[in-house]
Formats: sequence, structure tokens, C-alpha cells
Amino acid sequence: MIKRYHNILFLFVIIILGCEKDDICIEGSENTSRITIGFIDYNSKGPKSISLESIRGIGLDSVIEGIDGNDLKLPLIASSNKTEYILEYNKVLDTVTIHHQTIHKYLNRSCGYISNFIVKSDTEISKYHGWIKEVSIENDSIFNEEKTNILIHY
Amino acid sequence: MIQFLMKKKQIFLFIISFIFSLNSIFSQTENTESDSLKKKDKLLNINKLRFGIDLSNPIISSSNDDNLSYEIVGDLQITDDLYLAGEYGSIDRYIEDENINFNSVGNYLKIGFDYNMFNNWVGMDNSIYVGLRYASSSFSNKVDSYTVRSGDAYFSNLVDNGYENITHNNLNGNWIEIVTGVKVETFKNIYLGISLRLNKLLSDTKPSNFDNLFIPGFNKVTDDNTWGSGFNYTLTYSIPFKKRK
Repeated sequence: MIKRYHNILFLFVIIILGCEKDDICIEGSENTSRITIGFIDYNSKGPKSISLESIRGIGLDSVIEGIDGNDLKLPLIASSNKTEYILEYNKVLDTVTIHHQTIHKYLNRSCGYISNFIVKSDTEISKYHGWIKEVSIENDSIFNEEKTNILIHY
Repeated sequence: MIQFLMKKKQIFLFIISFIFSLNSIFSQTENTESDSLKKKDKLLNINKLRFGIDLSNPIISSSNDDNLSYEIVGDLQITDDLYLAGEYGSIDRYIEDENINFNSVGNYLKIGFDYNMFNNWVGMDNSIYVGLRYASSSFSNKVDSYTVRSGDAYFSNLVDNGYENITHNNLNGNWIEIVTGVKVETFKNIYLGISLRLNKLLSDTKPSNFDNLFIPGFNKVTDDNTWGSGFNYTLTYSIPFKKRK
């Protein structure tokens, strides 16, 4: 007798399972932005295209390939308040230390958290040999990748 | 407007056909029980108090290496077919979600009634029931670690300390449950039961910069959706108030 009711229970299980929708983070949802670094001429303060041989984050072995152009987008460490990069230009290495406030923002279950950053004013350079003359902050908040955040004078 | 009415009509037809199909299933069983004894029709028939535990929660918590979770269940027969029913539970569960790992700890209370649809033969006391519950849970969710969404995986995006890895305390959730289940008397006064629950969240206190991804008792909460589901597998003991024939 109870077997007949199994059909109803089975139906109920199917309905319940069918109700649970898949959580997929939609393409185009907010994302963690990278820092945008611009390069300008130290003397004329005008934009100056650069050709970097290599870029490497301190603490990592893997090297980001070099770039050619006016600006550079690099990821910041979401679990730290400091990100350091070694930039190689004309076989000369220089380290840029970016101090940033890291703010995590919750979106939803499927996307989880993203990170926004605010560049602190004490962002500095450590000169090994010194091709970078100066680092200046243009826009301190990194909520998107539209604006240039810091400028490297060289 | 016409489309809307058409839609309504279709829904109406669907419900009607659904009820009829249910009816045909039940009428089949009734035929075989036509020779069973008719019960006395009394308004109140407080016959038995049943209480017990859910078997699934302790098993889930021990297999996940969590602290003990449990649920105590009980029901009181008030008329022939109607039972006052309730559950109290305590949950401590570590949840590894897609992006966020967190620990959910809390207590819940569910109160409502069950309606038995099963006509027993003499001497039998099984039930197939539908029911309704109002449930309330107070809980906390502690974010243990999470992966920050990023288009770039050059640095590790795992965050396991310091940032939003905090405990969100004093959270509440209220919901209603539509219950369906069976209880089978396996030994005298000992029942094994299984129930399935469809939950509809009414309200919950949202933590700041996080969401209630899991509510003890309600279970998983999905994005932009107030429906959830649950089940329990119970072992109950009945205290009979009257001697059964």
C-alpha cells in the first residue's frame, strides 16, 4: 500500500531538486580591477612609450612577459596591503612597491567577493640601479580599470 | 490581458487535473481498505505523544568532522488525523561553497501540524502525511576562507585571514515549510520516518558585506531565490495514552 505513495514522494523529490537553480557568476559582473600604471618622461612630463623586458611580482617565480606601450595593467595582491613588482628596462631592474588599502566587497554566492583597492600615498620605489626616477599617484582608488592610477617617471 | 487569462486558465486546469490524479491514487487504496474498521468520530482524540531524533544530522556532522548536529522531533495527536508537530535542532556545519568556505552554527525551532492521509488497518499505525511548519532560526556564520573573484590568477586570490574572515553574529531567519512524509511503525511504539520539506524563506537578517548562504534548519539559500529544501530521517518513540486494541 505504501508503495503507491512512493510515487508521490518521488514526484516531490523531483520538484524540490528541480527548484534549485544553478548559481553561475554572470559574465560582466563586477570584477577585481588591476592597477593601471602609466609611463611619462621625467623631464618633459609627457607620456612616453616604454618597452619592458620583464615584469615579476616579488614572492613569485613566474614572470609576466614584457610589454610595449604607454600603460601597463598589473594585478594587486588581494590578501595583502602591499604589492611589489620588479620591472626590467634596458637590462636594469627596479622595484616598485605599491602600498594599498584592500577592501573586499561581497557580490553574491556565485561570484563571491571582489577586491577594490586604494593606493596609499607612500607608494615607493626601491632603486637597484635606477631607471625609475619617480612614482606619483594620479587616481588612488581602483574600482575599475579606466583611469591611470600611478605614473612612473623615467 | 487575454494572454494573462489564458495563462490563468491553464494553471487552473493543471491544478484541477493534478488533484484528480491524486484522487485516483488515493481512491485505489481506499478500495482495499473498505473492510477496515471505521474509527470513532470524535472531535478531540489525544491518543499519543511521539518524540524522537533525526538520524541524518548526527551522521552528516560526524562524516564531515563537524561538531555534533542534532534534531529532536515530536508530535502530539489531537484528532484522528491531525497532529501538532515540531522540531528543534542545533546545527554546526562547515560548508565548502564554490568561492567561500564558512561555518554555520545555530538553533532552530519549527512548529506546525501534520495531517495523516493514510487509512490504517486495524492494529496498524502507519502514516503518510502532509504538514505545515512555521520555523525560526538564530545563527551565526563565520567566514573561514574565500577566493576573490579576479580575471587574473598571477597572485593567489585565496584570502584566509584578516579581511572579511569574520563571524557574522545574531542572525535570524524565519520561514515556512511544506512537509510530506511517511512514518512506519517498525516495532511496537517505535517508528521510522522520512520527511521532505519545501521551504519558503519569509525574512532573514542580512549580515553586512555577506549573505546568508546557509541557514540552520532551512539549509542552502540560493541567489535571488527564497525557496529551499530539506529532509529528515527520524526514529521516534510513541507514548500511548490509551491501550490500543
